[in-house]
Amino acid sequence: MDYVGELLWPGEWGRFATSLAFASALVAFVFYLRSLHVKNAEGVARSRKIGNALFVAHSASIGLLIACLFYLIVNHRFEYDYVWKHSSLDLPMRFILSSFWEGQEGSFLLWSFWHAILGLMLIRFGPREWQAPVLAVISVVQAFLSSMVLGVYAAGAKIGSSPFTLIRELPENIGLPWTQMADYLERIPAFMDGNGLNPLLQNYWMTIHPPILFLGFASTLIPFAFALGGLYTRKYTEWMKPALPWAFFSVGILGTGILMGGAWAYEALSFGGFWAWDPVENSSLVPWLVMVGAAHLMLIHRNKGGTLHWALILSILSFLLVLYSTFLTRSGILGDTSVHAFVDLGLSGQLLIYLLFFTFGAFGLYALRFRALPKSPTEDPLGSREFWMFIGSLTLLASAFQISLTTSIPVINAVFGPEGALSWMKTKLAPPIEVAEHYNSFQIPFAILIAAFMSFGQFLRYGANPRRGTLKMLMRPLLIALVLSIGLSWAFDLHRDFLLLLLLLSATFSIVANADYALSVLKGKINKAGASTAHLGFGLLLLGALISTGRQKTISANDSFIAKDFPQNENVLLELGDTVQMPPYTVRWLGERKEGNYRYYDVEYAEIARPEKSFVLSPSILMNDRMGNSPEPDTRHKAGSDLYTHVTYAPLEPEPTDADGYGKEASVEMHKGDTAILDQSFVILDSLNSNFGYAEDGSVSKIEVEAVLSVIHLNGNDYKARPVYEINGSERGYRDAVVDPPGLKFRLDEIKPESDVLVIKSWRKTVDEKPFIVLKAIVFPMINLLWLGSVLMAIGTAIAVVERIRMLRARKPA
Amino acid sequence: MKRTHIIALILIALSIGAVMATLADASTYVGFEQADSSPGSIVTVIGTLDRSQPMNYDAEAGQFTFFALDKEGARRKVVFMQPKPTDFERSEEITMKGKSLGSDFVATEILMKCPSKYEDQAKVGSETAQAGF
Repeated sequence: MDYVGELLWPGEWGRFATSLAFASALVAFVFYLRSLHVKNAEGVARSRKIGNALFVAHSASIGLLIACLFYLIVNHRFEYDYVWKHSSLDLPMRFILSSFWEGQEGSFLLWSFWHAILGLMLIRFGPREWQAPVLAVISVVQAFLSSMVLGVYAAGAKIGSSPFTLIRELPENIGLPWTQMADYLERIPAFMDGNGLNPLLQNYWMTIHPPILFLGFASTLIPFAFALGGLYTRKYTEWMKPALPWAFFSVGILGTGILMGGAWAYEALSFGGFWAWDPVENSSLVPWLVMVGAAHLMLIHRNKGGTLHWALILSILSFLLVLYSTFLTRSGILGDTSVHAFVDLGLSGQLLIYLLFFTFGAFGLYALRFRALPKSPTEDPLGSREFWMFIGSLTLLASAFQISLTTSIPVINAVFGPEGALSWMKTKLAPPIEVAEHYNSFQIPFAILIAAFMSFGQFLRYGANPRRGTLKMLMRPLLIALVLSIGLSWAFDLHRDFLLLLLLLSATFSIVANADYALSVLKGKINKAGASTAHLGFGLLLLGALISTGRQKTISANDSFIAKDFPQNENVLLELGDTVQMPPYTVRWLGERKEGNYRYYDVEYAEIARPEKSFVLSPSILMNDRMGNSPEPDTRHKAGSDLYTHVTYAPLEPEPTDADGYGKEASVEMHKGDTAILDQSFVILDSLNSNFGYAEDGSVSKIEVEAVLSVIHLNGNDYKARPVYEINGSERGYRDAVVDPPGLKFRLDEIKPESDVLVIKSWRKTVDEKPFIVLKAIVFPMINLLWLGSVLMAIGTAIAVVERIRMLRARKPA
Repeated sequence: MKRTHIIALILIALSIGAVMATLADASTYVGFEQADSSPGSIVTVIGTLDRSQPMNYDAEAGQFTFFALDKEGARRKVVFMQPKPTDFERSEEITMKGKSLGSDFVATEILMKCPSKYEDQAKVGSETAQAGF
């Protein structure tokens, strides 16, 4: 049958490109491997060149594949499942990119795109002798990644999920009557427009955060490939020299990607903060921590030798943890514990196979070569730089291990839980109740150690105990840090918690010491100051995180009208035009305005002390009937602190009411003498009266039960209400009690004689109520330190990468 | 390298400590009945929204109440001291952290699982099938 209106050629080209990408990566791998085993020099070079040509062809296929999908999205071809799911007609051009990588298939493409780019850079600029072993590893990884978007069925198993699948070709649609209609695209309205992009992702951060993060993920492959290449070709130590700039590149890019995710969460999400220890966030942080460790271990080896085993293990581990993170976020296993994991596409088995393949492959090779690895000659002096760098790297590893362990609770359940493969545990584990406290109890001590190592490490020498002057040089920054942290702990009231105080001192010390080192020892030479700048940035980041999270204050919180054991109400109710005190501000909701799909709520803030200093914040709600509405915060940025606000509730439609204007139904079960809270009032069931009506023959024909309620209203007045329940033969009826003012209606809804319980329902008159919104406002002090630190960290690592490349070039014979 | 061995031992000890602490900190999923048996202590309950019962958000008190059924089918009134979460009606599954207090369950944190877009599309598929015939 010929279907009307379908555009098939981009899909066919796309599928062709996918197969080509998969096949060329596999064949490239074979030729690279061959070039490692051929004996004559000519054959080595020829195989390598063929491998390179195939890798270029592979990269071109990935490019074609991406172009095809892009073409379909831009042209709104909603007959394609991927396009329908992730885009819509009204989606602005600037979010087309976001819809490209919103789904799993697109993000796999983004990931392999970066692998291809990095591989091409290695072919163009990389050292020739390393091309074959390193690109062999990259090619295998690329073959696996391409197979994730193949979308073919082999021997009953689904291999990959293609973004070029037509909706009528989906397994669940095959055989449905409409797929037999040639003109289904024109007849069925659902195909006129797509489902659209998740409103949470319609944000500028979401156009830049994913590419950077995936470049970060992709970059961990290069040190991994060098480490495996080194093991395979028995160049056990030589691989580190060319891998080192890549390791720092990875540290910088992945770190920036993670922090951009934090910025997105802070600017666009409504959980209030930049880090929530969500499993998805954690699983990108863990490979970064390990990569930072790996880079420092390589640095030790380059300068002093030793630490070979650890450098190998951490370099391998970082990439494996990226794979593990991919498995966690895409297999659906995090479903219960994370708010933003991907939906399972039925590929978890395939992902697990890849994860196990690379884990056993990499560590198998390591085990095979274990005995041949050179032994470290000497023990490092306790006061040497490399000793403390080594300890620091292991601390990072320990920190990564702890985060990974708690994040893996669903995996532990899947393996050891009652329904798991080994079923050692009787019940499923749930994540810790106080998630942040759980992580902090480990990560704060780790951060204290890391910051301390960063402070004095730079002043130490490689391979020797410190000179006499070193301690003296350290005294000045230590004293300054001490004074500064006393000041800060006083200013931000941080002295109650010993651990926080230690972190404050440690972070301040690392800031002052690294600034001091850059200025007085390096004399401000920029090209040597990469490490100092990055460490300074990390110190600022820790300080910013400490103060902004430790001293964040929900200024909209209030304790009124709640029982003792109840959690605090963290939100404030604003009626239109009314002024409400929210120290240090008075706030007023000015009104609502619509722009496109957004509803903005303008809220005016005036300082209580200086009312003339006022400003307006406009948190909003993005309306989306297909995927649900989502609130977006608005934040006032000031140098010293941020004021973060978002609308936690706004009635979007008028409340449903009855003809008299009563709405907001509430109900409660009561015994005689009970007190209940019904709609802002205390209601006491004082007594019950019954009346009986008799028929002519003297039998009971009618029963009326009257409940006598004492109502203590929020306004302080007491009222009586007497709702009546009638039984007339087989008929049931109510006579509601209206108390107006204050506009309350009560009904005796049900009598349960078996348990002596009455069900009382209440309504409130809502027609006269003013429109209102519910708002949450949090002050984050010093959060700008965190962003400043992030930027410095990125700059510092960039300097280090450039410097390492320069050193590599300089040593190369012309 | 003897010192390395010591460090490795410390590292192993730390890891074991982390495992133990994680197991100690980890909570378990319970039902409402179990939550009642330890009133006041914070637990995690997975359940569903009972759509046969009214839910009410009192903005002035900042209190959202609804009825939930746990996996054993026990029903509780849940009091959540936060505004009503967006699209709460559409939730398929609710994970509630909180404590049992009297006859109510007071939730401090609620995570919802909403029908995925994938299923939405399956629905559209069947609707379109009806539209066709």
